[in-house]
Amino acid sequence: MTDSEISLRTEGLSAWFGDHHVVKSISLSVSRNDVYALIGPSGCGKSTFIRCLNRLHEEIDGARVQGDVWISGDSGSENIYAPGSDPVAIRRQVGMVFQKPNPFPGLSIFDNVVAGLRLAGVKRRSVLEEVVETSLKHAALWTEVKDKLKKPGTSLSGGQQQRLCIARALAVRPKILLMDEPTSALDPISTARIEELVMRLRSEVTVLIVTHNMQQAARISNQTAFFLMGELVESGPTSRIFTKPKDTRTEQYITGRFG
Amino acid sequence: MKELSLRDGRRKVLNWSAITVLCVLSFLAITPLFFIFSYLAVRGAGGLSLAFFTELPKPVGEIGGGMANAIGGSLILLSIASSFGIPIGLACGVALSELKVGVTVRALRLSVDLLTSVPSIVIGLFAYAVVVVPMRGYSAWAGGFALSIVMIPIVARSTEEILRLVPSHVYEAGLALGLPRWKVLLRLIIPGVRAGVTTGILLASARVSGETAPLLFTAFSNSFGFRGLNQPIASLPVQIFTYATSHDDTWRQLAWTGALVLVFVVFLLNLVTRFLIRRRE
Ligand SMILES: Nc1ncnc2c1ncn2[C@@H]1O[C@H](COP(=O)(O)OP(=O)(O)O)[C@@H](O)[C@H]1O
Ligand SMILES: [Mg+2]
Repeated sequence: MTDSEISLRTEGLSAWFGDHHVVKSISLSVSRNDVYALIGPSGCGKSTFIRCLNRLHEEIDGARVQGDVWISGDSGSENIYAPGSDPVAIRRQVGMVFQKPNPFPGLSIFDNVVAGLRLAGVKRRSVLEEVVETSLKHAALWTEVKDKLKKPGTSLSGGQQQRLCIARALAVRPKILLMDEPTSALDPISTARIEELVMRLRSEVTVLIVTHNMQQAARISNQTAFFLMGELVESGPTSRIFTKPKDTRTEQYITGRFG
Repeated sequence: MKELSLRDGRRKVLNWSAITVLCVLSFLAITPLFFIFSYLAVRGAGGLSLAFFTELPKPVGEIGGGMANAIGGSLILLSIASSFGIPIGLACGVALSELKVGVTVRALRLSVDLLTSVPSIVIGLFAYAVVVVPMRGYSAWAGGFALSIVMIPIVARSTEEILRLVPSHVYEAGLALGLPRWKVLLRLIIPGVRAGVTTGILLASARVSGETAPLLFTAFSNSFGFRGLNQPIASLPVQIFTYATSHDDTWRQLAWTGALVLVFVVFLLNLVTRFLIRRRE
């Protein structure tokens, strides 16, 4: 794998809540246009890990990070934890979708999608309209909402709200999209729609997706990493992880013996 | 089986007596409200006329006249109070909910709580000391200042509570778009809770519209109409107080009608507030 194909690479990434060491020196690389699944029992640090990748972890009181995260941009590779690196600029390149759908309350569907651009200074109506259409199309929501863009985002169903949040994240054109159990609050049909769209998103962005649903990981990802108690047990192509895991703990987890 | 049905019967009796007691007590609680409204309506409605809203009071002994000066004065006082009280209250509320908990925030919260419980006559005294004395006279400024102090803690507390209801992940969603913290707060979170914030502002306005004590020795009163913000100014509550305690029948009638209008306005503000809350849910 050449360096230019790598989209994101962590080196000895550790994270703490106060004294509680929850992510323990993780090193992994994610290639461009991967759908990279992070699996593991709940509480093993998956959320904390991906929240380090857009520097959101440090927003919590008493939270701390150590190690490096390299993301590749137009001007080569950049360490987001380098001294002087600006978290606000980093987050524009690394988008995030949360476990619970969280459109901004009181904002219309349109305003939700353009929130990131508008507040970054983009004012031209025509530009915003175009971004709304493309983002909502990417998020497979356009046909359902194109006639009610002025309605509040919170008036949509849970599954639609989550796709709205995906559109909102895509609208600022991130290179990497982090998804933290994006379907765990949704019904099976909405889940299927989001899985489909994630697979289509591959061509646009690199996706890291946390899931506790192993079928989901098997269906949509090409790479998988298995976390246990803050450590990376093993990682590799999804098909191999699920058929020939090297570590017995991985095998036990995917065969449902714990977690 | 028999025992069970017996217990069942006892339970029903208990249930019914509890409901009856609750109904009687609730009825007792709302009776005063009912009497206030009906008594005010009976005594006050007779004086309702266009003149009441448009004319100045006439000197003692003369028939007619209205409370235009008091109504206008109350509006002016409310505007002054709002233009200080609302921004300061909002800022305090935002600070209380957003700043990391520390000595400053704890001190601020304590002050806001204490301010809520300070008797309003004391707030009037304070305004007398810091505005009336230096300005050498009663004034609309002094009255508005006193009322704004009544407003601040109400607006601050309601704003804080509304903002606390916004889950932290909504906030983080804004940060994750690559936006600075203050922009997320001011442009995405606060606009989203404006209905709730408005509710607090309306409640605070309703509260100060009826305040009398802080105005007695700050705004004082006048019966000539508006003479400038540096001059004493009339207000509905103070005017009602003055007229109700007078011996002139025309004035006493004005007081009743004024009270009816005041209660109606406060009632209306509360209704609008409720409507906003209902719509938010
Ligand atoms: N805000 C927080 N403050 C303190 N500890 C936390 C916080 N969030 C998570 N933790 C702890 O960090 C560990 C990892 O949590 P998390 O990353 O959420 O796991 P996962 O997403 O894999 O379920 C858990 O032990 C959890 O209790
Ligand atoms: Mg999690």
